[in-house]
Amino acid sequence: MSKALGFSSILIVLVLAVLVGCSSGLSAPSDDTSSKTNSGNGKNSAQGHTLVVDKANDPSTLDPGLQYNTDSYTVYRNIFDNLIHRDPDTQKILPWVAKSWKQDSPTQWTFTIRDDISFQNGDKLTPDDVKFSLDRILDPSFKSPQYSNFSDISKVKASGNTVIITTSKPSATLLSKLVSLSIVPKDYVKKKGDKDFNLHPMGSGPYALSEWKQGDQVVLTANKDYWNGAPEIKKVVFRNVPNAASRLADLQSGKADIAFSINPDDVSVVKSDPNLKVFSAPTERVAYLAFNALGDTPTKSVKVRQAIAYGINYKSMISSLLNGYGKPVKEVLTPVSFGYTDSIAGYSYNPSKAKALLKEAGYSNGVTVEFASSPAYDQRVIQAIQGDLSQVGIKVKIASTDQATFLKKVQDPSHNWGSIRMGNWSCSCLDADGTIYPLFHSNTIWSSYSNKNFDTIVEQARTTTDEDQRKEAYQKAFQILQDDVPGIGLYQAYAIYGGSKHLQYKPDAQENFFVADMKWKE
Amino acid sequence: MKYIGRRILQAIIAMLGVSTIVFFILHLSGDPVKLMAPQDASAKDIAVLRHELGLDQPLGTQYLHFIGNIFKGDLGYSYIQNVPVINIIASRFPYTLDLALGALILSLFFGISIGLLSAIFRGKWIEKVLMPIILIGQSMPAFWTGILLIMFLSVHLHLFPSSGVGGIKSLILPSITLASLSTATIARMTRSSVIDQLDQDYVRTAYSKGVGKGRLLVRHIFRNSAIPIITIVGLEIANLLGGAVITETIFAWPGLGQLTIQSISSRDFPLVQAIVLLGSAIFIGVNLITDLLYAKVDPRIKLGRDAS
Repeated sequence: MSKALGFSSILIVLVLAVLVGCSSGLSAPSDDTSSKTNSGNGKNSAQGHTLVVDKANDPSTLDPGLQYNTDSYTVYRNIFDNLIHRDPDTQKILPWVAKSWKQDSPTQWTFTIRDDISFQNGDKLTPDDVKFSLDRILDPSFKSPQYSNFSDISKVKASGNTVIITTSKPSATLLSKLVSLSIVPKDYVKKKGDKDFNLHPMGSGPYALSEWKQGDQVVLTANKDYWNGAPEIKKVVFRNVPNAASRLADLQSGKADIAFSINPDDVSVVKSDPNLKVFSAPTERVAYLAFNALGDTPTKSVKVRQAIAYGINYKSMISSLLNGYGKPVKEVLTPVSFGYTDSIAGYSYNPSKAKALLKEAGYSNGVTVEFASSPAYDQRVIQAIQGDLSQVGIKVKIASTDQATFLKKVQDPSHNWGSIRMGNWSCSCLDADGTIYPLFHSNTIWSSYSNKNFDTIVEQARTTTDEDQRKEAYQKAFQILQDDVPGIGLYQAYAIYGGSKHLQYKPDAQENFFVADMKWKE
Repeated sequence: MKYIGRRILQAIIAMLGVSTIVFFILHLSGDPVKLMAPQDASAKDIAVLRHELGLDQPLGTQYLHFIGNIFKGDLGYSYIQNVPVINIIASRFPYTLDLALGALILSLFFGISIGLLSAIFRGKWIEKVLMPIILIGQSMPAFWTGILLIMFLSVHLHLFPSSGVGGIKSLILPSITLASLSTATIARMTRSSVIDQLDQDYVRTAYSKGVGKGRLLVRHIFRNSAIPIITIVGLEIANLLGGAVITETIFAWPGLGQLTIQSISSRDFPLVQAIVLLGSAIFIGVNLITDLLYAKVDPRIKLGRDAS
């Protein structure tokens, strides 16, 4: 009897486990299988086409006051309206929730708020909501990662149909930063509480949240009462597909209509598929190298830094590695940003000059430098640089760690992190201030470079709002960077998406993803 | 019962040890605040955020706080998602369970039958066909198997969805991918332990007594070779339940494997801690069940009398 019991108990355990498993996880998702496969095959239901978007990561939060990464705001900016808006073509800042604004004094701005906007629950959007949206980010106990975007703001006041914002010092980039401010409903947030609002966000935007299955997908449906006109695409599914090859397979099998972050290598696969096309645009993101000019490394010498800058074959990097999805830059900034200047010489590939400079620096027998890196950066680009530099007598040792370790190392005040690092910088503000100040001002976490003259110029440039003065200042600042070479711009990066040929979508320099601007044509 | 009580006490000590090690390694290896803050944040702004998260306190204080909260049943909030970690894990675990069971059913069925067949037909053509297949399954990494399956069965033949969750159909490709390795392990273990038994005297005796082949195989041989198979299956179950990082990433399967990778790379301390605690609890739990099963299968094994 005990024998029989032994075996049957194993069997029972197994069968039970299977039953529990089936009832726990799979039954719930299978309810909406039908709707998903419909959309996945690109079929149209009565409500029109459901757009399926493959992103590389799940949004961290959907509360726009919290996480400020592309994975999150790609989704939540469709649910919320921002205070002001940037024209994707001209990069001009345009009215949105604020219909107009004026600068009362160097430190005070008045924004007039539209009175015809309602949240998706029917409540009116008021200046009070705008004030609340800013105040909660500025409240340290809310722990918003966006705090530093707005930490110059000392006071926000709602009065009548206006919001008055006071800054602690004159701020040249206040408007650029406010482009990213999403307006949340004060009463709703207060009633729900911050924690619950993050899971059930509700805004005034063109789409409302239907479902968020964390780690899997977010489903949005069109807000047919949207103040700026109901969007054409009625339903959007943002899926979380971390593997690039899987995103490509989803496009090919028709499971997804558009996929983010397609590798330049895979562009030819997308192009050769008759149902697909490539959506791409140059962005404000600049790929750059920064040098350690303060630590005890060979790059302490400006001659070595210049030698590196002359030793890299930028053109072949763009044409062969990036398949043309990149544009040359003269400085650590992209031409779409305010403050970009063509007046400086920049650096181009000149191996004999690089060798000569290296000799002058006292390294006639060559030199070894360490390249700090993480998987977040394009390894092929780094290896190409390694190859180029070895030709001119600079031996590059690549030290790759994960991103958290990398940041800890290169941002440590001891400046003891090797000689070269790579970066892809976008301030989402289209302004030189958001790039060269945090990268090269002596008092910032990124900078391993110090020049008093440069510091003064960029400090002044951020506290004046006169555009001509600022342009002139950045011209001077870039000339200093050209001479000192604390870093070099490699190329202007492109955003590359693969998508269905039925989709009409125009990517922009800020890597915005407004589904309301898209159309679906069979 | 006394035995189980002692094992649970051991389990708690082991889990405390594991979480202590993970706590210190994590805190020394990187700073979540630097990953959370916008890239142009100043050192001052970062300090504000670090203070609010309590990460500026001495490591010892943070550790005591963490251990104290565990005993209160409070695993904390995710830094990144701002949701209690227990909710995040609870929402992801069912997916991992589904995938683990799918893979387990496939690998038990194929592993044991292939193992048995190649032991019985040792040296015959059946073994010569089956063993190389097993070898291929074991040698191909999941990211390769997975992509091949997607390319053939989803992109070309449109038989299965290429990624994501949606009913039984979506479970098949990831289960096959995940099962290919366990199948090989189970098949090889079954084969070698059945072969061990085939050469034993009692098999010859039973056979000469006229015991039927089928009965001999199931009641005598398989039962006696079960112990090593149970051990290996137990280990496989514990591995599968911990989440399959690569398979989940390829098939966009929202289980614990993906969550683990994300939480580690963003240094979401509370979430990593909770996943590690869960993982060690599963491992210890499965091992306990395996030990209990030994006694059921082989009455000669007496639990609780081991010298320790």
